[in-house]
Amino acid sequence: MDCDDCLEKLYAFLDQELGSNERKQVASHLEGCTDCGDNLAFEERFLKVIRDCGTSDVAPAELRRRIAERLRTEVPPTTA
Amino acid sequence: MAEDAFESEALSYIDALYRTALRMTRSEADAEDLVQETYIRALRFREQFTPGTNLKAWLFRILTNTFINAYRKRSRQPQTAELDDVDEFSLYRRMSQETGSNSSDPEKEFLDGIVSSEVKEALAALPEKFRTTVLLDVEGFSYKEIAEMVGVPIGTVMSRLHRGRKFLQQRLFDLARERGIAALRTSGPRPD
Repeated sequence: MDCDDCLEKLYAFLDQELGSNERKQVASHLEGCTDCGDNLAFEERFLKVIRDCGTSDVAPAELRRRIAERLRTEVPPTTA
Repeated sequence: MAEDAFESEALSYIDALYRTALRMTRSEADAEDLVQETYIRALRFREQFTPGTNLKAWLFRILTNTFINAYRKRSRQPQTAELDDVDEFSLYRRMSQETGSNSSDPEKEFLDGIVSSEVKEALAALPEKFRTTVLLDVEGFSYKEIAEMVGVPIGTVMSRLHRGRKFLQQRLFDLARERGIAALRTSGPRPD
């Protein structure tokens, strides 16, 4: 595996979406390539920032109250 | 699943559903309507949910379908020209090329300097073609789950995620330059 192949699979590697063979190939390349390793570390931290900041909002209290009320009072469909 | 367990678990996903709806619709009022509609449909069709399977994914599938069917046309915005180049943008490479930086670790300074409001702005600014896929990824769904929710092959999810993430990098890089973070301050005028 060369650097281009590694970069192409970088996100799937970080997302834990590679099969075991491909994962091993990428991991093996990363062991011997500082540049790809640094790139990986950067992308990993970048994705963490996006996830941390992107999941920090909460629903308005009034919406939560309204929906909680609806969930409590709605008659569930009758089952046989 | 007992009725009260269904309800309490369903309610526990309201924050995730709301913030995703907010970025899908780009409107607080539409996001509230979309979330409310999602719960109404979930209650109406709750018999179709298989207890023991992923309730969060089921609710997000309803949210995504409702958005696609009812809201997307209203929130559509013109595509931006910068999309043409987004595929090739690598923030890591761009940071490595910065010259004259007075920081010993410009990548770290950049990442540490990103503020939450900029990330939210960048997520909402994602072109619609990638936005839903990226938002579902941010909420922790797998490629397969996203593919099922959006109704596209896994390869398309991967390609949209790749392009969406590059778009976010470019956007946040531009915002950082506008903000004038130290690592980028001395690196000359911003290229077009």
